[in-house]
Amino acid sequence: MTHVKLTNINVEIPIYDANALRLFKRRATKDKSKVGSGSFSTAGVLSVQALRNINLEVNDGERLALIGHNGAGKTTLLRFIAGVYPKGEGIRDILGDVHLYGSASSINPDGTGYENILLAMRLNGLDKSLEPKIRKDVEEFTELGEFLNMPMRTYSAGMSARLNFAIATLKTPSILLIDEGIGAGDKNFADKVEKRVKEFTDRAKIIVMASHSGDFLKKMCNRAAVLRRGSIEFVGDVEEALEYYDRSL
Amino acid sequence: MSSNHVSPVPLVDIFRQYSKGFLTNVFTSFYWSHMDVRCRYRRSIIGPFWETINMLVMIMGMSFVSSAIFGVKMMGILPYLGLGIIFWSVISTSINEGSGCFIGNSDLIKNSNLGIGNFVGRTVFRIYITAAHHTLIYVIGLIFLDININMITLLAIPGILLLFLNSLWVVPTLALICARYRDLEMIVKNLVMLSFFVTPIFWNSDVVRSNRRFIVDYNPFYYYLEIVRAPLLGEIPDLKVYIVVIFLTLFGYLLLTVTYSRMRPNLAFYV
Repeated sequence: MTHVKLTNINVEIPIYDANALRLFKRRATKDKSKVGSGSFSTAGVLSVQALRNINLEVNDGERLALIGHNGAGKTTLLRFIAGVYPKGEGIRDILGDVHLYGSASSINPDGTGYENILLAMRLNGLDKSLEPKIRKDVEEFTELGEFLNMPMRTYSAGMSARLNFAIATLKTPSILLIDEGIGAGDKNFADKVEKRVKEFTDRAKIIVMASHSGDFLKKMCNRAAVLRRGSIEFVGDVEEALEYYDRSL
Repeated sequence: MSSNHVSPVPLVDIFRQYSKGFLTNVFTSFYWSHMDVRCRYRRSIIGPFWETINMLVMIMGMSFVSSAIFGVKMMGILPYLGLGIIFWSVISTSINEGSGCFIGNSDLIKNSNLGIGNFVGRTVFRIYITAAHHTLIYVIGLIFLDININMITLLAIPGILLLFLNSLWVVPTLALICARYRDLEMIVKNLVMLSFFVTPIFWNSDVVRSNRRFIVDYNPFYYYLEIVRAPLLGEIPDLKVYIVVIFLTLFGYLLLTVTYSRMRPNLAFYV
C-alpha cells in the first residue's frame, strides 16, 4: 500500500536578507505587497506563503498532474512531499519510498559518462551488483557508445540531455515526483524518452508530476490538480483540469 | 500566524539519525569525494601531489624564516614545523570548507532528497584524501631528517582518528550555521587565519613567556595539533592533551546535536 496524504499544509518560505541579522531592528512592518500568494514579515524576516491550506490525497495507482502558472507552488508542493521542507503544523502522511527528480543533478562535468552513472547509482542507494545491468541499460538507451568513456564536458547539449535523463531514471521508487523538464530533448530523442517515461511510470505506484505541457500530462496522468497562488483550486480529471486552467488564465 | 519553520527535530533521535545517515552513506560519499579529487586533477600529470609540493615549499620557506627569527637550526625545527603545517591544513580546511559545505550544494539540497550526510562526507573525505598525499612529505622527512620513530609513533593513529571524528562534527555544524548567517563564513575564515599565528605551528610553545601562556593553554588548536604531531615526532603527548581533545569532541557533538535539531528542518530555506 502506498499513499500520500496531506492535511492542512501551509508552507511559508522565509526570505532571509542581511536585515534579518541586524542587532537593532526597526519595528517590523507589515508588508502587504503581493508576492506569489502574498507576503508578510515577522521579526524582520519577510516570508512568502508558498502553499496555503493544502489538502490532498493520492492513492495507489494514481498519476497526478500539477497544473498552474509560474510561481503557483508546483515545485514547492513536490519538494514538500519529498520532505525538503519542514512539516509545520499540518499532517504529512506518506507511505512508500519517495523520490524527487528535480532540476539539480550530481553530474560532474569533468567525470566520464560511466563515472557519473556509477555516482548516481550510489547516491540512489542501488546495490553494486546491479552495475553491469545498469550500464547495459544506459548504453542501450543513450546510444552514446564510446563517448561514455569521455568526460561529460566534451558532450554536446543533446548528448548530455540523454545521459542526464538516463541517470535521472536509474531507480524506480514507489512514489515518484517529477518536476518539469522531463520530456525535453531533441526531436529524435523525444519518442524514446516518452517510451522510457512510460515504462518507468508503469513501475512506480504513485506519480506526481508538474509540467506545462498539456499533451504530455494528458498522456501520462489520470488525475490533475490546479494550483493557484499556493492553493489547490481544482482536483479532478486531467482534461477538465486543463480546461479549468485555461479558463482561469 | 502559523509558522512552519521553527519546529525542531526531537533531540533524542538526532544523534542516531545523523550517525546512521552518515554510516549508510560512507561508501557513497567516499566515492563522491574521490571522484571530485580525480576529476579536479584529471589533466595534470602529478595531480593532487601538486598540493603536496605546495605544502613542501611552504614548509621549507617557513622553516627558513622561523629558524632565523628564533635562532635555531633549520634542520632541528623542520620536522616539528612540517608536521604542524600539514595537520594545520587539515584543521583549517575542515573549518573553511565546512562553512561553505551546504551553501555549495544548495541545488541538490533543494531539488533532491539526498541526505545531508552525503554532502558532509563528500567534504570531509575530500580533505582527508588530499591530506593523505602529504604522507609523502613525512616519508621524505624520515629519510633525510633526524626523526625518532618507535612504538610511540603508533599513537598517531588514534590521534588522526580523533581529528577525523572532529571534522565530522565541525563540518555539518559550521555548514548549518553559516548557511543561515552568511556573515559568519567570512568571520570564520578570518579567525582561522588569525589562529594560524597564535597556535604553536611555526614557533615552539616553550618560547612563550609565562605571562602569555594562555595563548597556548586556552588554544584548542594546540591540543588538536599536539595529539598527532607529538607521536609522529616520537614523543608521548601529555595526558592533558587527550583529556582536552576528548572533552572538546564530546562538546562538539553536543553542539552539533543542538544545531542540527534547530536548523536541519529549515535548511532548505537557508540555502
